[in-house]
Amino acid sequence: MNTKLFIILILTVSTASAQTPTAEQIVDRVTAIMSPENSYSKGSQTIITSSGKERVFEFESWAGGKGESSLTRYTKPAAIRGQAFLMLNNADDIWSYFPRTKRVRKLASHAKKQKMQGSDFTYEDMGGGDVFQKKFTSSILGEETKDGELLWKIQLLGIADQEPPYPKIIMWVRQSDYYPIILEYYDEKDFNSKTLLLSDIQIIESYPTAMTMVMTDNKERSSTTMRTLEITYAWEPPKGFFSERNLKK
Amino acid sequence: MKKWGIFLLLPVLILGQPEFFGYFESEADVMQLGSERYSFGYNKFRLDVEARPSDNVLIGADVIIQKYWGQTTWNIYDFLPGYSDFDLIQNIELQDTILVDNIYMRLSFPWADLTLGRQQISPGVGYAWNPTDIFNTKSLLDPSYEQTGVSSIRIYLPLGNRSALNGVVQPESTWGKSTKQLWLKTGLSRFDVDITLAELQQATPTSMVYGDAFDVKRTLAGGTIVGELLEWGLWIEAAQNTLDTLVSISPLGPAASHDPLSIQIDKTYLEYVIGIDHTFDNSIYIVGEYLHNGFGSKDKSQLGLHDYLYSLTGESTSLMQDYAFLYAMHPTFDFVTLSTLVIANFNDNSGTFAPQLDWNAFEDTNISLQGSLFWGDDDTEFGLQDWGLRLRVRSDF
Repeated sequence: MNTKLFIILILTVSTASAQTPTAEQIVDRVTAIMSPENSYSKGSQTIITSSGKERVFEFESWAGGKGESSLTRYTKPAAIRGQAFLMLNNADDIWSYFPRTKRVRKLASHAKKQKMQGSDFTYEDMGGGDVFQKKFTSSILGEETKDGELLWKIQLLGIADQEPPYPKIIMWVRQSDYYPIILEYYDEKDFNSKTLLLSDIQIIESYPTAMTMVMTDNKERSSTTMRTLEITYAWEPPKGFFSERNLKK
Repeated sequence: MKKWGIFLLLPVLILGQPEFFGYFESEADVMQLGSERYSFGYNKFRLDVEARPSDNVLIGADVIIQKYWGQTTWNIYDFLPGYSDFDLIQNIELQDTILVDNIYMRLSFPWADLTLGRQQISPGVGYAWNPTDIFNTKSLLDPSYEQTGVSSIRIYLPLGNRSALNGVVQPESTWGKSTKQLWLKTGLSRFDVDITLAELQQATPTSMVYGDAFDVKRTLAGGTIVGELLEWGLWIEAAQNTLDTLVSISPLGPAASHDPLSIQIDKTYLEYVIGIDHTFDNSIYIVGEYLHNGFGSKDKSQLGLHDYLYSLTGESTSLMQDYAFLYAMHPTFDFVTLSTLVIANFNDNSGTFAPQLDWNAFEDTNISLQGSLFWGDDDTEFGLQDWGLRLRVRSDF
């Protein structure tokens, strides 16, 4: 189905419906909006440590299969220029490439929880796809208004045998377009370990797109701001794009 | 690569809207070896250039300028336990260098990548050791340091998303003398697997001492597997090697049969590495590897000069047979990483413990300080040294 038509259909159906959708329906629509078929983007990543020190990274990123596959290549700073990560199966399989040694290394699943280039985003956070649908059960905790925007407060509880990235996530979703603007991640002790804020949401080629995402680590009191500098959803991956061959280019 | 290749590629590089990048690196070392304390180091400048005249063509090159200081003349006998007490001298001189290390062109066809020229080739999945790597030698105290280029022709044929056939030829004067290696890689469930075959002809490192050498043909059949088990990264890299002496006359003549250099080269041996890694919830990352090298000696009393020469030159992965490598790392403070590595030789009960501090002082500038403490008897591989200290500063651009 044409993706533009799909989005319009989702929004039309949601507007036409007089009933409040179920949590599962909201999560399905969040997943559809957040996982375009393909994308190519350029972005920056600013890490601010607890002591206020700052490091800025820039990268290019390609995603395909509704976020199931992605390839990220750092362009700045010079010390890590060319380092790249290939994620397949919603980040279940990750390969990293180090240009200094010209080696590709397959990362074990524990590495998914590692900070990506020292940022507050883990590899797992960068993986898209249908994680919320497959690895969590959802429920509506209520409705709230923030900055004049009516929101659903959704609780996502990890399904143990699906290896969820977090035991619990609380997500605030805009009722106007099903776009999430706040995600709180909880650890095993039910502590809100990280918070993700999505802002400057623009419509890019029919898709609402957060141009700024800020992940705050509430334990270490550090934060990482991810800015989208350029993005298109019209990019089509050539055959074999998400492969080790392309990772090394 | 021949000089004509450099002259051919350099103008294309200049005309292809090149990108320039590289680094400056300065290193200072102190090493205590018995009663002698040595200080030495180098300053190194590397300039890389990459140009893409079209989407399907990549041209890359780098120039390295390296100047050594302090102790630049080393007597190899000082590093050979059992020989260091004799007045034997065989010096190696570290020369200041200006060289084009890598210079290559990669042509990307829909069905293959073809890379021609001097290029870095880094096969294998092991961290500290790579039994299937016939091109490089790793420093155990810094296994992830870049490798020098190999003048070669390389073809990469993708066979689906997770499978590929990869071949390298390092041409010499005849096909028989040329180094050849072939890999077939595929994915099996959550594991990456490859099998490899290689053949090379090399002169034995005895030439360092006597200026002449045996030619030995080495054939290798091996493979790697990398994946995970119970959330621990797991890899195995193994190679079965066969050595055949091509020139069987000792440079010292028939009477040299009792000379330590006149060894029986013909042999078959197995070499393998088993490795694991894991990141704990507290961000501590650990890597552990075990090496068995059938080429090495099992007992230090069996060691001859040729064993040391093979090990020093990197022709053999290790001096003896059984080793362990352990590396642990933790991002302790803002942009400061503390790590330590331990290397143990199980055959002569010697080893080293090397803590390290890495500080990303400024964007693109790293300062690292590594200490190393050695244990073992004076006539053992690591026990020969007492301690070392290394300061390295590197700034990328």
